[in-house]
Amino acid sequence: MSHDSHHAPVADKMELAPERSDLGLFRPDRTRGLFDWLTTVDHKKLGIMYGAFAMFFFLVGGVEALAIRTQLARPDNDFITARMYNQLFTMHGTTMIFLGVMPLSAAFFNFLVPLQIGARDVAFPRLNAFSLWTFVAGALVLNGSWLFEFAHLAGWLDGFAWHQALTYTDFAPANGWFSYAPLSGTFGQANAALQAPRFTGVGTDFWIIGIQVLGVASLAASFNFICTIVNMRAKGMTMMRLPVFTWMTLVTSILIILAFPAITVALIELMFDRQFGANFFNPSAGGQPVLWQHLFWIFGHPEVYILVLPAMGIVSEILPTFTGKSLFGYPIIVFSGAVIGFLGFAVWSHHMFTTGLGPVPTAAFSLLTMAIAVPTGVKIFNWLGTIWGGRIRFTPPMVLALGFIWMFMCGGFSGVMHSSAPADAQQQDTYFIVAHFHYVLLGGVLLGLMAGLYFWFPKIFGRMPNAGVAYLASGMVILGFNLAFGPMHYLGLSGMARRTHTYHAGNGWETWNLVSTIGAFILGIGVFIAFVNLVYTAAKGQKCASDPWDGRTLEWSLPSPVPEYNFARSPVIAARDVYFEHKHGVHKLAYENDGGEAGVHMPSQSWFPLLAGFGFLIIGFGMPLMSMGVPHAGWVVIAGVGVMFLGIWLWALEGPGGYMLKTPANPLGTTAAADAATSAH
Amino acid sequence: MFSRLFRRVALLAAPLFLFLLSGCSRADLTVRQSTLDPKGPVAQMQYEVFMDTVWLVVVLFTLVGGLLVYAVIRFRARPTDDPKPIVEEGHGNPLIEIGLITASIGALVFIAIPTLSAIWYDNDVPAEAVPTSKLSAWYQRIGADGKENYAKAVEEQVLEIDVIGKQWWFRFEYPQLGLTSDAKHTVPNEFVIPKGKAVRINLRSEDVIHSFWVPKIAGKVDLMPGRKNYMWIQANETGHYYGQCAEFCGDSHAYMLFRCEVVEPEAFAAWVKAQKAPANEPAAGSKAAKGKELFAAKTCAMCHNITGHFGAGMFAPDLTHVASRKSLAGAWLDNRDPKAQGALEKQTKNTEASVAVDPATLKANLVKWIGSSGTSHGADGKPTKDVKPGNRMHYYAMFGVAGLNVSKQQFTTEELDCLAEYLLTLK
Repeated sequence: MSHDSHHAPVADKMELAPERSDLGLFRPDRTRGLFDWLTTVDHKKLGIMYGAFAMFFFLVGGVEALAIRTQLARPDNDFITARMYNQLFTMHGTTMIFLGVMPLSAAFFNFLVPLQIGARDVAFPRLNAFSLWTFVAGALVLNGSWLFEFAHLAGWLDGFAWHQALTYTDFAPANGWFSYAPLSGTFGQANAALQAPRFTGVGTDFWIIGIQVLGVASLAASFNFICTIVNMRAKGMTMMRLPVFTWMTLVTSILIILAFPAITVALIELMFDRQFGANFFNPSAGGQPVLWQHLFWIFGHPEVYILVLPAMGIVSEILPTFTGKSLFGYPIIVFSGAVIGFLGFAVWSHHMFTTGLGPVPTAAFSLLTMAIAVPTGVKIFNWLGTIWGGRIRFTPPMVLALGFIWMFMCGGFSGVMHSSAPADAQQQDTYFIVAHFHYVLLGGVLLGLMAGLYFWFPKIFGRMPNAGVAYLASGMVILGFNLAFGPMHYLGLSGMARRTHTYHAGNGWETWNLVSTIGAFILGIGVFIAFVNLVYTAAKGQKCASDPWDGRTLEWSLPSPVPEYNFARSPVIAARDVYFEHKHGVHKLAYENDGGEAGVHMPSQSWFPLLAGFGFLIIGFGMPLMSMGVPHAGWVVIAGVGVMFLGIWLWALEGPGGYMLKTPANPLGTTAAADAATSAH
Repeated sequence: MFSRLFRRVALLAAPLFLFLLSGCSRADLTVRQSTLDPKGPVAQMQYEVFMDTVWLVVVLFTLVGGLLVYAVIRFRARPTDDPKPIVEEGHGNPLIEIGLITASIGALVFIAIPTLSAIWYDNDVPAEAVPTSKLSAWYQRIGADGKENYAKAVEEQVLEIDVIGKQWWFRFEYPQLGLTSDAKHTVPNEFVIPKGKAVRINLRSEDVIHSFWVPKIAGKVDLMPGRKNYMWIQANETGHYYGQCAEFCGDSHAYMLFRCEVVEPEAFAAWVKAQKAPANEPAAGSKAAKGKELFAAKTCAMCHNITGHFGAGMFAPDLTHVASRKSLAGAWLDNRDPKAQGALEKQTKNTEASVAVDPATLKANLVKWIGSSGTSHGADGKPTKDVKPGNRMHYYAMFGVAGLNVSKQQFTTEELDCLAEYLLTLK
């Protein structure tokens, strides 16, 4: 919180004239409406937008999944073509991982981390906005490929000369979410124009640049959260008093900054192969396809923990709240989270057991993969220990959190099965693997994130979702999920390979594929009901008290919805689970007046993160246009780079900004109402 | 409210679960591509390691899951509870934590040991699979002479097969037996091995990554372009085994199947001999003879080799003995009598080998495949659905150059009939 800003502190925001930056530009100064959402740097609003985009893309990925399941419901089905099927499973995986789970986790990071550590915002509010808009740009690029695909299928592109010159006319990516080279790359020798023949069309280029842009967003956000958690904790909030969710945010952010550079390098190499005739992965020119797999999975395996650790953090917050008991073995839970993150970098080759690594590496990665079951098991034991001796109150978040433990445990167990390389030789690339990672990522992560949504929704919007509808949705999700993915264990063991467009009757797969499809539709309806429930609640739900669950961490001490300045006075923390202690124990929350008479220092809004993100959007569409051979597309890319740099340049020059905001006189802020609400328990 | 709901759901779910389980039978575990029905030592080893993990997981699941269910029921909030919240800060119990970590590591050692031994066993032909090499294997440990003896024994007693993956079919070559591309004798999609003999498989790819997988005989190993992967297999029961490419390899990945026929050693020798024979000559003036002319005129011979008739082809499957094969189009179309096949579906014994090629089915398949495989617009001139989407016949037609969009070949119904008749004579 810099106090040396040259902008004069103003007593009240409402009296603040639009602020003039160093460039003479006016900074946006809206508190509501579209301009506010586009220019906001408030971590809570950014978090809500992350959540909204994530939920939208969850629905998109879900529709893709249902199309896949419809195709597989019957043998020899031709509901969709083979190519469309391949595009659907590629986009389903990519969407769910990069546009669904990661941004939904980021939504929780954004909204909760500053509140849980007693801060007014993240360390770099404008960088935070930049992360959001860059993520949106990446998401639009990836899904923009569908627009081209549909335009192509409808025949709208047939008139263009560049379209007629294309050898491959797949416009949406169709390589699977790990895009193995050389299928995603090139073969043979490059011609004079530095173009080598390819196996796939521009869909792959959309995928490459889309993931690259998303990586920028994730990296920027992760640096931001690490700085925030390390530097901006309130007085007394030692590392071992941090809420577990914040701890898992820290571990996840570190994983992201260590893992994403590997995929960044891999994507650049693949892009060079495709666009400029490089030979990183081109076997006919001496390149190594297996290099792609190493680079991808040394990112891809930590990515799994990037997806799951936030959900584990959420469950570690929910269980103590509804058992009325502090988390069993807090240090061990935190430590095992860190160990999982660390070991996550040492097991990547278990995705490659069948690539002919040789017995020694296979054995090493087999044993390391088994080793990672230990810290994971420790977490489950400690959650069990938390429940043990507690008084469980059943609420939608608690039921979903228990569902998380069950499903994650099942996924973990099938994971132990293919940690053994010889067993994995039969399971690799079958539906057994599909079942495994859906138990971990859907049964695990999605239930965990849904639990988090139902848990913190009252805090975010001050409204309580309808419990009956929530139970209905949760029940359908859990039932449908098990019906959809349980039979896949059998399908995989009976030899059904994944990523297959269709299958013949007579292999014994008919019945369970049909059951699986029915389950998928139940699951889809359940998720949709939950979505409607939450959207309705955000707009018109029943208002609730600021601390409806008898919460334990700092965010529950604030009014709902949380005021833009978060804490009127900075809290001073004397214990773990500080707010619960404050209500029921001996350690009381204290506050210090850090802003003096002037009030709270707030950051100014800005257009430039949005502008820089927009630059990425132009680059993202320009690169695939170049691959399509659209005339002058290279200039679009250059224009995009220009817009991006312009955004960053203006952002750097506009100065930090900021203004002072008067806060309520009550030293406890507006928490008196919350105290009154909880004393009723 | 929740407990009532929970009881109702449980009451509904239990019979549903039992109903679903009642559908299971022994036959479900021996389906065509079942990994739970091993017929050779490699698959057997993988199955045993898998079952070790299953038992471990079942025990752990019962323990942890049971405790979780117990805890959730036992410690649910009751109206009689002390209304005062529990405030003491729990730090966990170091003894419990260390005990559980130690127990987890112990449980993992239980599966780690069979895992390690199976990794080395599955890697390459082990000494015990080379009958006369047992003594040599012992020598191998004590000196260089032993190593040579061992290598010789392996060479003599282990059958080598090269598998070459392409989008979207497999080519099999037997270098020791003279069935190679150089000798113009290759075997597409259906390979034969003698029962009880160790086979070393060299895995090569000519384009993207594929994966070689015959679930009942061995788990998969990838065909990596630019790498020399290998594996070994052995089948201890004669029969007709189903395999499939297991690594996503593009448009028609799902249609990239193959078959493995395991026969007695004598039958294997006869098969090799038959493979080396040149193609039968069609009777002059017959439909088949016209088909042979069409095979050249429609540029099929640019890519397909038919030893004795056409020798230029190298890109596409060898058709010298196409009529003797039980499947077509990357094993996607089955040439056996559908009725006889249907009768076998629910049998636990692998007796499928007894089902022979049915000429009528084969002919129908040939017409369907050639008439709709991207080479043509179908017999009636209208575009038809590809049997294998994106297949390469389209690209290679005429010039043998990938990616060159040449005009499609047109076939009349009669031409298709003649071509099929010709191919039918290639037994």
